[in-house]
Amino acid sequence: MEGTPFERRALHDINLDIADGTFLALIGHTGSGKSTLIQHLNGLLKPSAGSIKMGSTELKAGGKKQDLKSLRKKAGIVFQYPEHQLFEETVEKDIMFGPRNFGVSVETARLTAARVIEMVGLPESVLSKSPFDLSGGQMRRVAIAGVLAMNPEVLILDEPTAGLDPAGRVEIMELFNSLHERNNLTTILVTHSMEDASKYADEIAVMHKGELYLHGKPTDIFSEREALKRVGLDVPETVQFLQKWNEKSGLNLALTKFTVEELAEQVSQSLKKRGN
Amino acid sequence: MLQNVIIGQYYPASSPLHRMDSRSKLIAAFFYLFIVFLANNWVTYGVLIAFTAVTISLSKVPFRFLYKGLKPILLLVVFTMLLHIFLTKEGDLLYKAGFLEIYEGGVIQGIFIALRLLLLVMMTSLLTLTTTPIDITDGLEHLLGPLKKWKLPVHEFALMMSISLRFIPTLLQETEKIMKAQMARGADFTSGPIKERAKAFVPLLVPLFVSSFKRAEELALAMEARGYRGGEGRTRLRALEWHQRDTFALILLALLTLSLFLLRN
Repeated sequence: MEGTPFERRALHDINLDIADGTFLALIGHTGSGKSTLIQHLNGLLKPSAGSIKMGSTELKAGGKKQDLKSLRKKAGIVFQYPEHQLFEETVEKDIMFGPRNFGVSVETARLTAARVIEMVGLPESVLSKSPFDLSGGQMRRVAIAGVLAMNPEVLILDEPTAGLDPAGRVEIMELFNSLHERNNLTTILVTHSMEDASKYADEIAVMHKGELYLHGKPTDIFSEREALKRVGLDVPETVQFLQKWNEKSGLNLALTKFTVEELAEQVSQSLKKRGN
Repeated sequence: MLQNVIIGQYYPASSPLHRMDSRSKLIAAFFYLFIVFLANNWVTYGVLIAFTAVTISLSKVPFRFLYKGLKPILLLVVFTMLLHIFLTKEGDLLYKAGFLEIYEGGVIQGIFIALRLLLLVMMTSLLTLTTTPIDITDGLEHLLGPLKKWKLPVHEFALMMSISLRFIPTLLQETEKIMKAQMARGADFTSGPIKERAKAFVPLLVPLFVSSFKRAEELALAMEARGYRGGEGRTRLRALEWHQRDTFALILLALLTLSLFLLRN
């Protein structure tokens, strides 16, 4: 709301290029502007200054109204707690909502529904059920299927694992990761979890108070532990371990692997080498 | 987009009006609704305007905020004024063009009616501008307390009111969130023929209903878990306090009423 006491600038001077096919993790504290940033990507929010370019579509500050449908089809957003957006009588109809809005015929949309429900790991029998009869985790999968049904080229995920149990978290993240790889998607993941970011992302962008604080490859970001700590973040536990390990053992292991398994492998091999 | 809706438009400030007990303010505002109708000539309207102006300046609420409250009814005010100007046929004829006749009585009547409406709305918005919603409900509960004798669930009504006030921002936030989620799935809430647009709201309303019911159930459970049993024997964290200034304000209002009675035709 411009010109009122409630006016507040949410984002400042953000220059961010995301190449096709990148898996980008957007990290930052609550109120750092992550959600605001991603809502600009498909025109849900319009910039009050600057511009956003997505493929061939460009959104400019003060630009004239344009048809945002093609942009919204290209960039699918999975919001926080996406299960809250379910409304139809059956799962199938709910999944078809997106494609139907973009002018896909009923038959095609139905086929798409059958395809995506499998992608999210639910049996086809779910399609005829009411979404409100499902469990929380299943509802979330249905909601995600509803976004995938639009066949987006860019998938934007706003903390997709919030409120799930640890097993559910891993399953959902693995699902997105395999979608990203199989369908050549560009994925933007908003998260609090450095672990998730380190595990899946090619690039990490750290937001702080509406500004782009750091941006680069995970290895580069994690070598700036002090900078991360200044904004109340830290490197993943595996990286912390590796740094301590290097200090204590006198070995100088490179910072390349971030999962516990890979790190364990790296450490044991280096130990073997030293043993020889 | 929905932040533009301002409900429960409390204006935080420290003024004599803000410090008054909500009960005295409620009584005064209610009373004022009636005495406005006592005014029927220039002098009495002058007295009322002076009184209202002094009250507004005492409240330290910028006129801008009052004006925001007035805006929705401005059209109504202008319309009633014109209606009176053209339809009242009293006093001298001032102007005549074809079938349009404007009489002096009509102009005066029109101005009076417009003033009456403006004064009413200004005073009542002043009540909500200087009193927090919670204080208003507390005050109402107190004032309606005697009705409990006739088994009216006054406490429950007050509770319902404060719960709804409390959840207005939450509901707005939720609406915005779901709206955005459906827009991201290609829903269009802003264009197309009326019939299509009404249909477009189903994907918004169903999730809102579902979450409201869920929230109500959770709230009820949380209240019971913390031992809530209704108003019987319940004490308050912030007790309402009647001060001298409240008595003073009501006496002032009584004097205003008396002077209106003496000065009116």
